[in-house]
Amino acid sequence: MLAFSIRRIIGAVPTLLALIAISFFVMRLAPGGPFAANRKLTEAIIANLNKAYHLDEPVWMQFGRYLWGLLHFDFGPSMKYRDFSVTELIVHGFPVSLEIGVWAMLLAGVVGIALGIVGALRRNGVTDLSVGIIAMVGVAIPTFVIGPLLQILFGLKLGWLPIAGWDGSVNAKILPIVVLALPNIAYISRLMRGSMIETLRANYVRTARAKGIGARRVVWKHALTGAMLPVIAYLGPATAITVTGSVIVEQIFGIPGIGRYFVEGAANRDYPLVMGVTILYGGIVILANIVTDVARGIIDPKVSYE
Amino acid sequence: MGNLFARGLGKALLSAAICATALAATPASAEMVINRGFGASPDTLDPHMNFGAREGWIQDDIYEGLVASNDKAEMGPGAAEKWEVSDDGLTWTFHLRDGLKWSNGDPLVAQDFVNGVIRQLDPKTASPRAYYYYSTVKVVGAAEFNEKEGGDPKTVGISAPDDKTVVIKLLAPQPNMLYLMGSYHVPPLHTPSFEKFGGDFIKPENIVNNGPYVMKENVPQSHVTLVKNPNYWDAANVKADKVVYHVTEDDQTELKRFRAGELHVTNEVPSDQLEQLKSEYGDQLRITTYVEAQYLSFNITKQPFDDIRVRKALAYAIDRDVLQNKILKAGYQINCGYSPPNDPRYQQPHVEECDMPKEERVAKAKALLQEAGFGPDNPLKVTIDSTTDNTSKRQAEGIALMWKQIGVEAKVNAQEFQAWMDTFYAGSWEVLNDNLVADMPGPESHVVYMQPSAESGYNWKSDEYEAAMEKASQQSDIAQRYKHLAEAERILLDYYLTVPLNVTTSRHLVSPKLKGWEDNMLDVHPSKYMSVEG
Repeated sequence: MLAFSIRRIIGAVPTLLALIAISFFVMRLAPGGPFAANRKLTEAIIANLNKAYHLDEPVWMQFGRYLWGLLHFDFGPSMKYRDFSVTELIVHGFPVSLEIGVWAMLLAGVVGIALGIVGALRRNGVTDLSVGIIAMVGVAIPTFVIGPLLQILFGLKLGWLPIAGWDGSVNAKILPIVVLALPNIAYISRLMRGSMIETLRANYVRTARAKGIGARRVVWKHALTGAMLPVIAYLGPATAITVTGSVIVEQIFGIPGIGRYFVEGAANRDYPLVMGVTILYGGIVILANIVTDVARGIIDPKVSYE
Repeated sequence: MGNLFARGLGKALLSAAICATALAATPASAEMVINRGFGASPDTLDPHMNFGAREGWIQDDIYEGLVASNDKAEMGPGAAEKWEVSDDGLTWTFHLRDGLKWSNGDPLVAQDFVNGVIRQLDPKTASPRAYYYYSTVKVVGAAEFNEKEGGDPKTVGISAPDDKTVVIKLLAPQPNMLYLMGSYHVPPLHTPSFEKFGGDFIKPENIVNNGPYVMKENVPQSHVTLVKNPNYWDAANVKADKVVYHVTEDDQTELKRFRAGELHVTNEVPSDQLEQLKSEYGDQLRITTYVEAQYLSFNITKQPFDDIRVRKALAYAIDRDVLQNKILKAGYQINCGYSPPNDPRYQQPHVEECDMPKEERVAKAKALLQEAGFGPDNPLKVTIDSTTDNTSKRQAEGIALMWKQIGVEAKVNAQEFQAWMDTFYAGSWEVLNDNLVADMPGPESHVVYMQPSAESGYNWKSDEYEAAMEKASQQSDIAQRYKHLAEAERILLDYYLTVPLNVTTSRHLVSPKLKGWEDNMLDVHPSKYMSVEG
């Protein structure tokens, strides 16, 4: 398993390099530059700015300079948020996105799996139906609708939670975690339900029952592990997306995470910022995929590391 | 058995939900804190780089210029207690107060103000607002020093003959000098910390300030916290202990935070809810005319926009009343001249179609188009380049609709801000949905901007305009200066290079608990004058 993981990590290096190269050049194809404000700048000032950020050099030279910086863990200066380097922005923002994202995925995993099991065990009953309806609503209502609704209910009407802002308190984290978790709860519960129903019909579960094993043990020990496989396959990429933040949830709740940098960096042609978050995201996706594969190998006897 | 299991899980979920909603109230504190909505995270708080107006609020709180703005946006003594101007209006001498200190206790001297200007002009700093010292204010040697690296700072017309005197030499008189010197335009530089930390001297752990407040925290995308500066000369009159600028990117969330009492004042008010909020909040809703003018610009290097009949026809076809009151409904003010009309001493020239009845306007527009060779068989095709900003896009679409009514095939090309800028520089646009924010009240920021020599992007050259501007720039008497500026603006309007549309507004919700907030056209609000009661 260790050898497998190391092989996969080494195998990821060319992928990451390709990601860096493609993003770097594609970014520069977009029209516009990073230094526009509400006033058009004079040529002398634009020349000064381009020089300061080496944008007056040929693109291949800029790419070389960028790779050289990366080798030293230097993602370059942010062109939009000039008081910070990209590394500083990520160091400030990523722990916040990670914290919210991890809690949201834990919540989504536990609740989603639980609801899925409940649905599968009480198939076509009232409970299953209501869980199903809630799940569909959770998938269908976008976060930019559910977020403000929860703000109005818990922040304004009940006054229990702050509307937005990030002061490090638990209260400030509840609503964003819940809002991030909701669509995942919905999706995971549907996935889990379907997979559980199928597994409960599987031959090995029938065998287990025939051997006289109790219902609880059949569900926990035999069916659950098998039914988890599709959920685990989903959890990998979903976690990668969630821990790198959501621009919508961050804007609504005023969370200082990194999700917005994907959008703002691109909109402002902040080349180093876009590169920084893209590389981070790429790295996390690769890592999440490796973890998922390893986990599947542990659970599913049909998967081998060779 | 399955039932039991499912029931147990349900209970567990329920209790988890109850736990999640167990809450604590925010702790009360004795210190006075002002919570201000800020909008999107600041681009930069570097005093010599920033030219954002919102970032300027923080600059005004942590730095004090030679002169400073009060709560009504009037310029008065700041670090300098008095000043004189020479008779020719070219030499300004500022005298600093006694015993001025930086927040770390270092003495604040005249050279610090000189160093601030030099850093801003230094090409190595690459400050986007270096032009402040050679556009509306023309400091001797400033443009040359900014253009080429390695210049001698002594060639720039700002000096400190002694620790308490700053002398500024201008190429041309500027009666509005104080507005341009005031507040965050000319902040001093704490040279030792700049030498030690370079560009990082503005990090909260390194920063040394000379304003009523000191920056304590700057968390990207979250908040900027300022605390009272005990070494500020007027600290006894600074009421609040702490000012927190909260990043509020989403204006709907900001509104809810204001409703919940988390903010004393908002940065913005959702423009589509103005009517409802007015009836709900009454005079807590503050809508004030701002120094920003919005207008259309024509690219006269492109056919057929080189034909004044075409430009005039398109201008005539616009119904400003419908645009403001039916389409935008953002509380904007109709503008009939190029500059925002906000100085009663200035006689603003108007475009003629502003006072025409609708029928006459439309008839003339159609006639002009026909004269220029366009008609039903050969319709004029126009594209308006706009940003994707909601209000701008709506404005462009409204105008396109009005043009369609006179038989023009008009469409809107809405692009992201950066791409829109690129279109402008590349000169590939036909009609631009354009705007400009002034640095001071009065017409000058705007008419200077349209000077062909100052702004290459518009490709417009006019000897008469340059002559009128040259005359204006030689006047130190404001009435005389305004007379020539009005001549210049008249020339610009008659040429139909632009079509004036409106003057925008600043919009805030201000809690009755917040005292000392004054509405003003520059939208300047120093926290020094504010306090929280109740």
